Amino acid sequence: MNDNAPTAATAATAKLAPVALAGPASPAVVGFLSIVTDASGVFGGYLVTNAWGRPLEFRLSTAVQPNRVQQILYGPTLTEYLHAELIGKTLIEKTSAQPTIVVTDSPAALGLRARLGVPVVCVNAPASDDLLPLPAGRCTATLSYGAKFADDRAVLDDRLEAIDPAVDLAEPFGRIREAMAEARKMGVTNRAA
Amino acid sequence: MRPDVTDDDLGRTPDDFDTVDVLEFAPLAAWSPTHDLDLAFSSEAHSLARFDSPLGVGVKEARLLNQTPWVRTLGRLDFAISTEGWKFPAPPTDLVRPPAQRLESSKPAGREVIDLPTLPDDGGVRKPPIRIRPTADTVLIKDRLLYLLQPPLDDIFNGRALEVPFELFPYQREGIAFMVPRHSALLADEMGLGKTAQSILALRLLFHQGIVRSALLIAPKQLIHNWGRELKLWAPDLPFEVFPNDPEARRTTWLTSNCPLKLINYEAVSRDAEVIADPRTYFDVVLLDEAQRIKNKDSRTAEVVCSIRRGRSWALTGTPIENSVDDLINIFAFVDPGRVPSDTPTKRLAALTCDSILRRTKDQVQTEMPAKMVKDLELELTPAQRTAYDRAENDGIVHLNELGQTITVQHVFQLVMRLKQICNFDPLTGESAKLEQLITDMDEVAANGRKAIIFSQWVEPLEVIAKALGKHNPLLYHGRVPQKDRTPILDRFKADPDAHVILMTYGTGSVGLNLQFTNYVFLFDRWWNPAVEDQAINRAHRIGQQHPVTVTRFLCESTIEQRIAGVLEAKRKVFNDLIANAEKPAAMLTEDEIFGLFDLKARPKRG
Repeated sequence: MNDNAPTAATAATAKLAPVALAGPASPAVVGFLSIVTDASGVFGGYLVTNAWGRPLEFRLSTAVQPNRVQQILYGPTLTEYLHAELIGKTLIEKTSAQPTIVVTDSPAALGLRARLGVPVVCVNAPASDDLLPLPAGRCTATLSYGAKFADDRAVLDDRLEAIDPAVDLAEPFGRIREAMAEARKMGVTNRAA
Repeated sequence: MRPDVTDDDLGRTPDDFDTVDVLEFAPLAAWSPTHDLDLAFSSEAHSLARFDSPLGVGVKEARLLNQTPWVRTLGRLDFAISTEGWKFPAPPTDLVRPPAQRLESSKPAGREVIDLPTLPDDGGVRKPPIRIRPTADTVLIKDRLLYLLQPPLDDIFNGRALEVPFELFPYQREGIAFMVPRHSALLADEMGLGKTAQSILALRLLFHQGIVRSALLIAPKQLIHNWGRELKLWAPDLPFEVFPNDPEARRTTWLTSNCPLKLINYEAVSRDAEVIADPRTYFDVVLLDEAQRIKNKDSRTAEVVCSIRRGRSWALTGTPIENSVDDLINIFAFVDPGRVPSDTPTKRLAALTCDSILRRTKDQVQTEMPAKMVKDLELELTPAQRTAYDRAENDGIVHLNELGQTITVQHVFQLVMRLKQICNFDPLTGESAKLEQLITDMDEVAANGRKAIIFSQWVEPLEVIAKALGKHNPLLYHGRVPQKDRTPILDRFKADPDAHVILMTYGTGSVGLNLQFTNYVFLFDRWWNPAVEDQAINRAHRIGQQHPVTVTRFLCESTIEQRIAGVLEAKRKVFNDLIANAEKPAAMLTEDEIFGLFDLKARPKRG
């Protein structure tokens, strides 16, 4: 099956305007997007939880391996395109539970914010001028969001507040990786491919 | 060469020339052997062949730029992925409390965890969180992912969704993580480690996750009330319903009640075999407390319990093997039907059951435990006791009211004492809910090779208890025992491994004794003053105690005992709230409080 086949032309629309934020903050539905790169390529796992970190839905993508020409043609936009547009957006749109906030472990996936009406934060992102920090306390790791979306701050605070304080926003990524490994072990990604 | 050779002499027609590919040389063989050519030099002019028709130029197409090896294909320029997803059961909304409604947790009455030990310094290394894992026999990928994707239990119980009244010990969280993914589970922790709390929280988790929607708890009759109390404590958001005594009403509860959790006693289950056989009777989980009650596979109770249609079979017992390995085999006939055949050799038993049994002893978890755990065990009076109790209380109150202003606190005391005695034993039949429970608990204490102290206010109940606990070689130690005999009794209790229990009155046994080799204390009835109870408890819980001490305070539901305990607990709470970390127990009941135990119109004349 081929869920999404964007063209190079799509990628060329690199400068996307932020989509207006939609949906109420409560009840909180949190999307955790993990992007993993290994020998098979780049692939993603997406876990949707309720405000207490309980799993509601999980979705896994097949791996994508950019070839040399794609690397050249997409240039510096390749990573963001793969993480945010191709994998992140596809996973989120294919999932029935729509998140009130997306947490990702890939700074490149912060570009999702320009494609979806959902605020996006990143855990453990290295310091950069493109990122703005969020106060610690919700997470054992650092938490940041895109500087291009500085206006999201109030909404982010509001939506983070709706999540149970005991939920460590960095913790579910360990679960996701385990689940991805389990699914691959059982041949799920081959089946999906 | 012949001079008049013409075009035609060559035997070729002009059309032939049209087909000549000018870019290629015609092979010489085309000219011979039929036409001899004189290739010798001659000065004669030869006429050239005439081209009457224009030459056709057949140009062979050259390789294009898009053909290998000149250009290789670029391949796909776009990307494509596919996805696969799983949707998990949604938690029922009526079980979920929104975070905004979080209440400040207050310490529930009747439960204390004190003397928390200092845990060994772990050097700042954070222990890995305790997670639920799929079992080896969880086959479906969706089920495996569901368990793998559950948050760590530490986070769940620290959060707002599943508040718990006390912080759980790591071994308790491990117990919950053991039960949740299992369809067959036997939790066989030693008494006092919190099997009740672990199983309630495991159930609560499954309900919250939407994985189960109906559960049945089967417990001994005298413990049903206590289960209700524990459920309110550990799962206040989980509605439950106790099966009524009336058979018709029970039938309705079996078949039509939508309550997610139902509680029933073993006796009622064995009477309801017919309705249990109805195909509509099904539970996602059936939980057996004191599962040794089905150790006799031929008993009616075992037969009916095993016949209940269910998704998960969970059992609790502190003594999975009381007399022989057959006990365990028969419990497994419920836990995992068909897995352990009745003729299984003992050496094969462990291999067949190990994945479904979890047992921890106090010794194994003592570093994680407080030195002393105190719990109130609320019991339901037997029918005979209830009848006697209600009659005595009603008659007593009438009598007190008739006294008018001549009433004194002594009059009220007399009634209280009378009622407390009925709570211990029915005066006519000798029935005792407390004794029934005590016998069960003592079997477990003895089976684990432990020793216990039982305290009562009176000598007579101790003698009855001693008779009932004969197999555990009880020793009596009270005011009527001559002084010269007392030390040998204590020596024997300490030295004789078969003497598992000593029975004491508060007055004689509560001070000056060192019984720190004892791990269990039962307060068969309550003393007026918590300070005296604390002294009694400290016979076992004192310097030199190597193991945690579990204190069980028996209380009968809806009786004077419960009212007195409520008043004392409230006083203790007020005191503790005022003076942080106070160790001093609250004072005993005041005169006003004693009168307040009953709804009396009569009051003593003041002044």
